[in-house]
Amino acid sequence: MDRRRFLQLGSGLAASSVLACDRLPQLLLTRGIMGDSAPFAPPDVPYIDLVSHAISRLSYGAGPGEYARVRALGRTSHDAVAAYVREQLAPGQLDDGRAEAVLRRLSMLDLPVGELFEYEAPVVLDSLTRERLLRATLSRRQLHEALVEFWSDHFNIDSSKGDCRWLKAADERDVIRAHALGSFGAMVRASALSPAMLWYLDGRTNRRANAGEQPNENYARELLELHTLGVHGGYTQRDVMEAARALTGWTVRGLGESSFGLGRVEFAPELHDDAQKVVLGEVIPAGGGEKDIDRLVEIVCAHPATAIHLSTKLCRRFIDDDPPRRAVEWVASVFSGSGGDIRATLSVLLATPEFLAVRGTKLKRPFHFVVSALRATDAASDAGPALQDYLSRMGHAPFQYPTPDGYADDATAWTATLLWRWNFAMALQRNRIQGTRVDHALLERRAGGRRALAAHLLGRRPTPDEWSAHESTPDTLALLVASPAFQRF
Amino acid sequence: MQIASRGAVAVAPDEQRTLVVVFLRGGADGLALVPPVGDDAYHRARPRLRVDGRSAPALDARFALHPRLAALHPLWLRGDMAVVHAVGSEDSTRSHFEAQDLMEHGGVMGGGWLGRFLRVRPATGSRALAAIAFGTQLPEVLRGAPAATVLRSLDDFTLGDGGPALAASLAGLYQVDGGVLGAAARDTVRSLERLDALRAAPYRAAHGAEYGSDEFAQSLLQVAQLIKAGVGLEAVSIDVGGWDSHFTQGTLIEPLMLRLGEGLAAFCTDLGPSLATTSIVVMTEFGRRVAENASLGTDHGRGSVMFVMGGGVRGGQVAGEWPGLALHALDGPGDLPVRTNYRDVLAAVLARHGGQGLLGRVFPGHRVQAMQL
Repeated sequence: MDRRRFLQLGSGLAASSVLACDRLPQLLLTRGIMGDSAPFAPPDVPYIDLVSHAISRLSYGAGPGEYARVRALGRTSHDAVAAYVREQLAPGQLDDGRAEAVLRRLSMLDLPVGELFEYEAPVVLDSLTRERLLRATLSRRQLHEALVEFWSDHFNIDSSKGDCRWLKAADERDVIRAHALGSFGAMVRASALSPAMLWYLDGRTNRRANAGEQPNENYARELLELHTLGVHGGYTQRDVMEAARALTGWTVRGLGESSFGLGRVEFAPELHDDAQKVVLGEVIPAGGGEKDIDRLVEIVCAHPATAIHLSTKLCRRFIDDDPPRRAVEWVASVFSGSGGDIRATLSVLLATPEFLAVRGTKLKRPFHFVVSALRATDAASDAGPALQDYLSRMGHAPFQYPTPDGYADDATAWTATLLWRWNFAMALQRNRIQGTRVDHALLERRAGGRRALAAHLLGRRPTPDEWSAHESTPDTLALLVASPAFQRF
Repeated sequence: MQIASRGAVAVAPDEQRTLVVVFLRGGADGLALVPPVGDDAYHRARPRLRVDGRSAPALDARFALHPRLAALHPLWLRGDMAVVHAVGSEDSTRSHFEAQDLMEHGGVMGGGWLGRFLRVRPATGSRALAAIAFGTQLPEVLRGAPAATVLRSLDDFTLGDGGPALAASLAGLYQVDGGVLGAAARDTVRSLERLDALRAAPYRAAHGAEYGSDEFAQSLLQVAQLIKAGVGLEAVSIDVGGWDSHFTQGTLIEPLMLRLGEGLAAFCTDLGPSLATTSIVVMTEFGRRVAENASLGTDHGRGSVMFVMGGGVRGGQVAGEWPGLALHALDGPGDLPVRTNYRDVLAAVLARHGGQGLLGRVFPGHRVQAMQL
């Protein structure tokens, strides 16, 4: 269906029913992550051990058998975890055929950017959301997926703004996924020239065709405030203006003005301010033209405040809402020393004493909660509208956060979501979520009984309180998924 | 950019304010809903569709309500309803899709204005049930809300059979757990109890209000139920479709007007004193051409009307500059021009819902000049 046809439908007023998200039929009902019914061995100690901890922090939680698999990667727990970290930092070497096979149904997401416009916007959003959910649930490249979520918040784009309705799909693929474990500088550069970002933060209108025109500072400000140095990173209003000047002249073809080459990013020299700029004390010489952006990205990425800002955010995600200072500084020094190599930075972060010592202190955000429940219960799911509904209810639908700061990563933002977490747990247990199925009896059998299944979900043996609560309800799976311990990781 | 404070402020249940946004999709004809019966140009432009001033409840010397909206007249007389005429957005594409999108987002930006409002205003307790929409999917206006539920039935809210037992077990576990989750769990259990009580007893509308069996009235009935239950409902979005009246306008929109008027009248009656803390806004993406067309209909135009009810509105006034319908006053192909930006109407309402001082963040890029409503 082409855009014209779409607009006709849109004006047909039954807009909301025409734009139904269930254009993708129930083809995507996958089997669970294991795809078999082999028995598995959950943790059997009364505390969260190192292996359980590493799985819960690097991934969206243990699926059946994951604990035993990781434990077997080394002679000691430390060796096993180190091997697990190495494995997850090299996602390209993990065969992800099962996830890929399922995701072939969403092959529209592989289209060149201009062709995405052939689809109805709600279908693009639905596909993108399914992709995120299904990869997070099914992929063996779990750390990569966790980082995709992290960077998608860091470089947040609300897909409901203008052409972002189509362009965010390309941003997710070409910026976020492509660089999630690569070079931070390359990711910043890709993001700066991502057609979706040029739309979202108005870079496409940032021009200086004559001396009287003021550049649009929106993107330049967020580049410094959110993407690189951080709000207290020591830049000035002058730096924002100079950065904006360096970024003038980049345009993207939008639906309003063009019908071909949609989403194409072009540099228009006549709209570029080609005089000298000074950003953070560094000179960008006159006459740089379209190379200005490269120099600007170098300057902002190499700034020490950027290393601290990024290190703080990564430590908040992987260690604690209140990230320990020593770890932040150490990780920042590696970030700087490696020239913003994300893989090298993480490999150090995930070996800090602070990371290794902490346990279960982070509150799962709703997306994490939902995906970890699907993984733990080995649910089959089409990741369709019924599942996505729960994310909306908890205020955590992917690609729909309105402002450039992205969804918050600390617990206080999410404590009001318990009602829907409990509701989800009950609906999951009772198989009341359309397009999602759990086989409780089979799961319990494979885990080796009720106590073992509880240990699988909690990452440790249940406490006496948990066990007596467990005994007092027939909805044991719901109880475990809704329990306080399962809200944390 | 600035990031909203998240500090939760305790608010007594009787201070809970609820905003109900009714969106008339398709471009509702403001000149039919609130005809300028005192303007000769109106009668000339609408020889077959016009409303006779003598049969329509008068608002003032210029305007009347369409007779099918007569149920709203008592609200007007009590001062609980204001009308804004020649109101709309800056969008001049006259495309439903573009105009609705712009109006719901509050500009070319991500997220809806109502979602943004809920995000920037300080929380008033647990927000799990803060925002609901009726329909099949989340409307653009609520995009970006901290939590938003597309409601099909009140059953969606509860845990169902076995729920109370599960909640009791969970309450114990969260108690032991303590911390922020402990407090949140107590909140959640309370909400669940109220919702279960709601489901258990058949609802009786108060003050002699009678709701129709149509979808709109039934949605409003559920909203009234939730407001009275004090579960923290802050914002509601209800869509009413079918206003795109290109041909035989009367047969298309008269039944809609009847349901709109009677539904809202029943809702306001039912709320009784709670109407003081409940605001209702009725809006549409654009109005329609002043002159009727050859098929007894009207085509896409610009300015239309908005209704504001309850919540302490200064009712009994038709607000906004009225350009008149003389040919030279019209916009483009002969449309009622937009003289009042819809954001300035919303701003007046949001200010009474804790939005004072936040309006610049709800409508970035717009110099807010809240109407005196």
